[in-house]
Amino acid sequence: MHDAVLAGCRWLESTPWGITIRASSWMYPVILWFHFLGLSLWLGTSLTVDLRLMGVGERRLTAAELSNGLFAWSWIGFGVAFVGGFLLFSSEATTYVSNTPFNLKLAVATPLALMWHVVVQEKTRTWTRTGQTSAFGKWAGVIEFVLWISVVTASVGFLLTNAVTHP
Amino acid sequence: MWEVLQHAGWVTTLATSRGLYGLVLVVHYFALFLSIGTIVLLDLRILGIADRNQGLSAFAGQLRPWTWIGFGAAVVSGFLLFATEAGDFAAVTPFRVKMLIIVLAVLSAIAMEWRVPKWDRAPVIPVTARLLALLSIVLWLGAVLAAVEIAPLTGLG
Repeated sequence: MHDAVLAGCRWLESTPWGITIRASSWMYPVILWFHFLGLSLWLGTSLTVDLRLMGVGERRLTAAELSNGLFAWSWIGFGVAFVGGFLLFSSEATTYVSNTPFNLKLAVATPLALMWHVVVQEKTRTWTRTGQTSAFGKWAGVIEFVLWISVVTASVGFLLTNAVTHP
Repeated sequence: MWEVLQHAGWVTTLATSRGLYGLVLVVHYFALFLSIGTIVLLDLRILGIADRNQGLSAFAGQLRPWTWIGFGAAVVSGFLLFATEAGDFAAVTPFRVKMLIIVLAVLSAIAMEWRVPKWDRAPVIPVTARLLALLSIVLWLGAVLAAVEIAPLTGLG
């Protein structure tokens, strides 16, 4: 399993995009910029829905209205963040996977948060049908919020312990 | 002045504790994603390319607290991070550019928030509103670009 992962990482580093980004002095920060822009849209939309499910803040729109209305920009943001993250990873894949916070982020925190996000997205209408958010819906919002905090925490852990410092 | 801040007792404590520094960094990232994400959503709504099913005022009102709470948290955490290398940050151009762009972006956000009720009553959203929304997007893109360029250009952060 470990060997297969490392082989995959070596392959990513040898792809044309992996080589190009690693050799460039300006591409890494620019792709990081894209990654952050995508994350802003993704978290701005997701957290707004979560907070509405929790019942904190304004009540001008319902959680279901927000979830529907923000759907497109939410997933555009995710797409941008994902492509950006994939490209950054490709440039230094073997170094990244030797970092524990990075592995926690990629293999545990992000998949969990993402799966939970899809559950919240699919169920928000059901949880808010009566006009009141069900207790389960409120906790579902809290859980997604905490899961994304854990993703950011793992990312910062990675940032502070990563062996590679970029030009 | 910034050197004095950098060498204050509580600042050196923060700078030398990986746990504390990391915690402040988590707050900074999380808060700025929330703040920039929600303000850009309002920009996109004003431009007519996000959630046209909801009234502008209701949409803006729903996002407003998270834009400004997020911004406040990003400013406080950002100041703490700045303090750890205050003398160095204050002296470099990319950091100054970032601060300038953020000030302009916040002014544009305040101008938009202030005009939203008026624009919402208009039969169509005026061209000036759309221009301001576009300017706001460009400024926030610029702020994040300046932020990610600080480390490669100066070695700080």
